[in-house]
Amino acid sequence: MNNEACGTVRELIPDFVGGRLAATDVGVVERHVPDCAECAAELALARVVLASRLAPPPQLLERLLRSVESVRTQPARTWWGISAAAIAALALGIGISSDPAAQIPVDVPGYAYEVEEGDIWLSDDGLVAGAPLFDGLSDDALLQLLDELSGGSA
Amino acid sequence: MSVRDEERLGGDPSDLELVHAGRSGDDSALGELVKRHHAAAYRVAVSLVNEDDVAQDVVQDAFIKAFRALGGFRGDASFRTWLLTITANEARGALRRSSRRKETALEDAGPVQSEAMGPAQAAVVSQEAGRARAMLERLPEKQRLSVSLRIEEGLSFKEIGEVIGSSEGAARVNYFHGIRRLRELME
Ligand SMILES: [Zn+2]
Repeated sequence: MNNEACGTVRELIPDFVGGRLAATDVGVVERHVPDCAECAAELALARVVLASRLAPPPQLLERLLRSVESVRTQPARTWWGISAAAIAALALGIGISSDPAAQIPVDVPGYAYEVEEGDIWLSDDGLVAGAPLFDGLSDDALLQLLDELSGGSA
Repeated sequence: MSVRDEERLGGDPSDLELVHAGRSGDDSALGELVKRHHAAAYRVAVSLVNEDDVAQDVVQDAFIKAFRALGGFRGDASFRTWLLTITANEARGALRRSSRRKETALEDAGPVQSEAMGPAQAAVVSQEAGRARAMLERLPEKQRLSVSLRIEEGLSFKEIGEVIGSSEGAARVNYFHGIRRLRELME
């Protein structure tokens, strides 16, 4: 048994059992394991762990696909989902806070929140979930929004 | 055939392409991301919360949060790693809430029954695999996740580090300690 070879093989074992290895590395594992009881035992264990992999319950996928449909709002609803503060900011011609951490009360990795300009992502409870910048809207669209807003408050 | 190949047939769009399509309003792209990654997310959730119904709720919350924050996904991590990180965070949140509930229940109603085995645990494919699953549950959380993510999902140590909130090196150490401990438990 050769410790350096064992180290190499043990790094490769997970991808070997998962069928993710290139042919040359498959050969490295296959040549080593017959002569090394320790690596053979570790390979056997990895196979058992992979075989114990759980399958999700069949109804989960359907449930998730339904929930995806409710994640986003359609553009027409998006306009009405914007907060009064956002509308005021729009009317004043100023930008809206792009501090996403203040707007998305969820516990996801920090780098998730760097919102690119132009993205408008609203949660379906009407909160601004991204940084809604209006630069991407045409003049007609902005006028239509302002028309609808003034019509709604009259 | 690899785990990822099973979920990605030849010529299909990459995850990143689906993310871009989803951001442009293509709901079917989001559906495809769900199809590709819900099984891995479910396994991460079950591994942490150990209850089928709680795990399903965790996975649903994780996808919703991921899709709502999709505008900020830059693609420097894979979508899969990003989703699994959110799933692990959601699962830890669910665990904290359930331990608070248990403490309350303990004060109100005396000792708590041990967790019942869910259908997920019952679905193991063989006696040996069933034993491995049971022994995996006895590993510390980071070792358990490192072993599962490396072998079952094919994540790299760097990706595992992102999910468990540690460095690549720490993920590697957790994996090899977990494997060694698992071998001892299985003997
Ligand atoms: Zn060896």
